[in-house]
Amino acid sequence: MKMDACETRDLSVAYREEPVLRRVNFRVPVGGIMGIVGPNGAGKSTLIKAMLGLVTPLTGTSEFFGESLNTVRNRVGYMPQSASVDWDFPTTVVDLATMGTYGALGWFRRPGNAERKRAMDALEQTGMQDFAMRQIGELSGGQKQRAFLARALVQAPDLYFMDEPFQGIDAKSQDAMIGVLKELGAQGKTVVIVHHHLGSVLDFCDHVTLLNKTIVASGSGPETFTTENIRATYDSSNGAETFLTAAE
Amino acid sequence: MSYVLGVMLLACVTALACALPGAFVVLRKNSMIVDGIAHAVLPGIIVGFALTKDLNSPILILGAALAGLVVVLGNEWLSDTGLLAGDAPQGLIFPALFAGGIIMVSTDMQHVHLDTNAVLIGDLNLAAFPAMILNGVNIGPEYLYVMLGVLILNAAFIAAFYSKLKLTTFDRQFATVLGMRTRVLNTAFMFLVSMTVVAAFKAVGAILVVSLLVVPAATAKLISNRLDHMLALSAVFSVVGALAGFWIAYALNTGTSAAMAVIYGILFTLVAIVEKGITRWRRGHKAASGPNELVTVRAKR
Repeated sequence: MKMDACETRDLSVAYREEPVLRRVNFRVPVGGIMGIVGPNGAGKSTLIKAMLGLVTPLTGTSEFFGESLNTVRNRVGYMPQSASVDWDFPTTVVDLATMGTYGALGWFRRPGNAERKRAMDALEQTGMQDFAMRQIGELSGGQKQRAFLARALVQAPDLYFMDEPFQGIDAKSQDAMIGVLKELGAQGKTVVIVHHHLGSVLDFCDHVTLLNKTIVASGSGPETFTTENIRATYDSSNGAETFLTAAE
Repeated sequence: MSYVLGVMLLACVTALACALPGAFVVLRKNSMIVDGIAHAVLPGIIVGFALTKDLNSPILILGAALAGLVVVLGNEWLSDTGLLAGDAPQGLIFPALFAGGIIMVSTDMQHVHLDTNAVLIGDLNLAAFPAMILNGVNIGPEYLYVMLGVLILNAAFIAAFYSKLKLTTFDRQFATVLGMRTRVLNTAFMFLVSMTVVAAFKAVGAILVVSLLVVPAATAKLISNRLDHMLALSAVFSVVGALAGFWIAYALNTGTSAAMAVIYGILFTLVAIVEKGITRWRRGHKAASGPNELVTVRAKR
């Protein structure tokens, strides 16, 4: 049997009394891009946060490459939502990217030239090398996302979790990011990406998971991302009608 | 060392000891937790003083710092329960502790002679009074060396954990996924802040200590693009404000800590006005110099 990049069993999460995820079983095969799609409040971000230990689940366990997160942390990368940090923070773009190396540093060590070099390489990959010395608050929405992506690349993990990386992004940045994602897929890396723009899902996702508090469907892209499944996912919120009408 | 020089040095060292952790307090948006800590340590100080009879005692400082941690940990715990939202947990915890302290002071519990006024705004001149004598030579106020110790401890902690502090402050979630012990680091840092507040309390009081921690750092943040610059500028502003505050208080024969707090407020206002002016000028300059749609001019709040 082929090993999964990650697998979560029987995952339930509630904020206060409100259930967000109910008994989710979710697995991602090694290699390729897995898109998690669903309406607002479907628990997409919560799913990856609970898997990564950022949110405490009520029930459920998660494994990465067949092991607990603590044993394989260096193989798992995370790109949070852009809005989750303070972009007024006094730091430069290259400093931000260098933070991706901090996990490999010991308790007292500071990043040196080798770490900065890796950060610059990653910025080049996302087309952000010219902005390296800018304060992060000076960037546009798309540039912020590309700087965040560079920080995740610096970690050089085998499995990436990305939370809405296309949020607030311009066309140029989107193309640059999709290029990097496809390259990662081609290198045999696994990317799990929370995405809410239905129109572009099949442009870059090899696998799709449709989620609305529980998993509606999960599997290879074209087979899973069907009108029927999308309707079932967006049932109550009606958010997919524009997309589906346009597709028909 | 002359008494005046001693007081002046004490003002500078106290300001520096507060400003360094203050930079992280401001970036973590924890300013009001510090206010909570400053109030909550009062009962700790009084009980500690009743036991040790010495406000400079390290046991008192560490013990009272633990009382300050009650606010930090209690705040986290109450937030986690979801019973109260926002900053309400703080509002619940620290007034009760502070009020307990006030009752202890005013009922003269175990004959603690602490002046309520000194508790609130401190008295730098009084704090500097007992001198340290080494081989018969007066080497400055005893309390100066207490604050120097706190300053060294703060600087050493920040130097040792600089990268970790930076990342957990900027992006706690990312730091957690990297495997950093964000909660341990946060508790250790807040304990240090709490200890700084307790130590500085005698000189600047429970209310004005917030000014020393927050305002130089907030001023530095206005004009810093990098964290190391912000730390350096916080240090500069804290010393400038301490010196100016000291001499103004000396000339007007008024409270040093109050004068320092006022100067810090004025410094912040001046820097904010200049920064806004420069940003506006640059924006006009850029618009005039041609299209540059990729750059969004940084708007500071």
